[in-house]
Amino acid sequence: MAASIRLLVRRVLRRSSAVVSSAAGGWRLSARCCAQLSCRSFSDEAAEKSTHFGFETVPEAEKAKKVYKVFENVAQKYDVMNDAMSLGIHRLWKDALLHAMHPQPGVRLLDVAGGTGDIAFRFLEYVAYQKERQSRRTANSAQTPSWQDISDNYLGNREGEDEGEEFGPRKSRVVVCDINKEMLKVGQQKAQRVGLADGVSWVVGDAEELPFDDNQFDIYTIAFGLRNVTHVELALQEAVRVLKPGGRFMCLEFSKVANPILARLYDAYSFQVIPVLGEVIAGDWKSYQYLVESIRKFPAQEELKELLEDAGFCCVRYHNLTGGVVSLHSGFKL
Amino acid sequence: MLRNVLCRFLIEPVFVQRNITYTPSVQAASSVFTSVRNFTDVKDETQQAFDTSLLEFLVCPLSKKPLRFEATTNELINDELGIAYAIIDGIPNMIPQEARLVQKDSNPPAQG
Repeated sequence: MAASIRLLVRRVLRRSSAVVSSAAGGWRLSARCCAQLSCRSFSDEAAEKSTHFGFETVPEAEKAKKVYKVFENVAQKYDVMNDAMSLGIHRLWKDALLHAMHPQPGVRLLDVAGGTGDIAFRFLEYVAYQKERQSRRTANSAQTPSWQDISDNYLGNREGEDEGEEFGPRKSRVVVCDINKEMLKVGQQKAQRVGLADGVSWVVGDAEELPFDDNQFDIYTIAFGLRNVTHVELALQEAVRVLKPGGRFMCLEFSKVANPILARLYDAYSFQVIPVLGEVIAGDWKSYQYLVESIRKFPAQEELKELLEDAGFCCVRYHNLTGGVVSLHSGFKL
Repeated sequence: MLRNVLCRFLIEPVFVQRNITYTPSVQAASSVFTSVRNFTDVKDETQQAFDTSLLEFLVCPLSKKPLRFEATTNELINDELGIAYAIIDGIPNMIPQEARLVQKDSNPPAQG
């Protein structure tokens, strides 16, 4: 009896020591590897860290590649699919974003994950309309000028011109930044077709590592792109960096529906109808499966608000559209 | 709504086909002038293409330092790190992993 117990104990000890020695060996190896690799040696550990790609769990390094492939496949049919999937309502959501933004002429906008340029074109049209209204207002008021105005214009003709020129050279400008070249190409072609190519610049860039200088933009928008970013916190930090003090961050993203009945209908529509539409119109079931899954995985309204506050934005507010299907978050860099 | 979308979807390829059938006839008619015109057209495209006013706020995503526009190779160069970002169709590609090394002995761009 005693002998068998002793044997058992010895076996257990041997096994445990074997485990410990192998673990120790592993540590030594990884330490050597870390010393040899350059600063981004994190990549080994980061590769082990996983994130969500829809309902799948994938290594973080892979998510960016997979997302790239999704949008590369759908780029040509992106706008058509948006109309089909949302029954045209996505236009209303984007219009709501613009109305909440209420940009004035002379403002510089950075549209990240702007792909085909929907926000950019709406911005330019809105600003052009505002400019027209302003000029109409000044024209109306100039029709019955006071003696003060006449004397000002007579003497300070130069001053008047300077004031006008402040709004002249400081033209409103949009920079559309997207990680995917195909989406930007489609956007560029659209711009030329619509005649808004002047005033929009296209840049291929990563939202987590923006190629822009600090304190450059008045407004930063990211419409339906934040859930595709691997590290949301990094993207938010970059947003804080490139915004001017007083600049506004606006994010339009799919979110959680509060009403349970609506939620059920929405889920049924998302999982039954959307991938089918994707297959029929764009010939790509998987990309649209990813789309609806990634919506479920993205943080809800309050969580996103907390993320924004953590990144350093003040006065963070959100507004639900279409019952919570989409929410518009806004924060200021102060 | 869906009907409109499907109609647009069906009409678009028709328009594309129309354009395709149109251009050969144009080329046949003005074959003498096309060579010169094409040259100028191509030149205009690449000139309109990259807007150098972007350089006001465009920086290297890694070091956040300003870049130099190299017109001959159509690239944006960060001399400090020795990397060059290509410009394709007037759109600068500012992804660090896709940047080209200018000097062989400089450090490679960050991995990841």
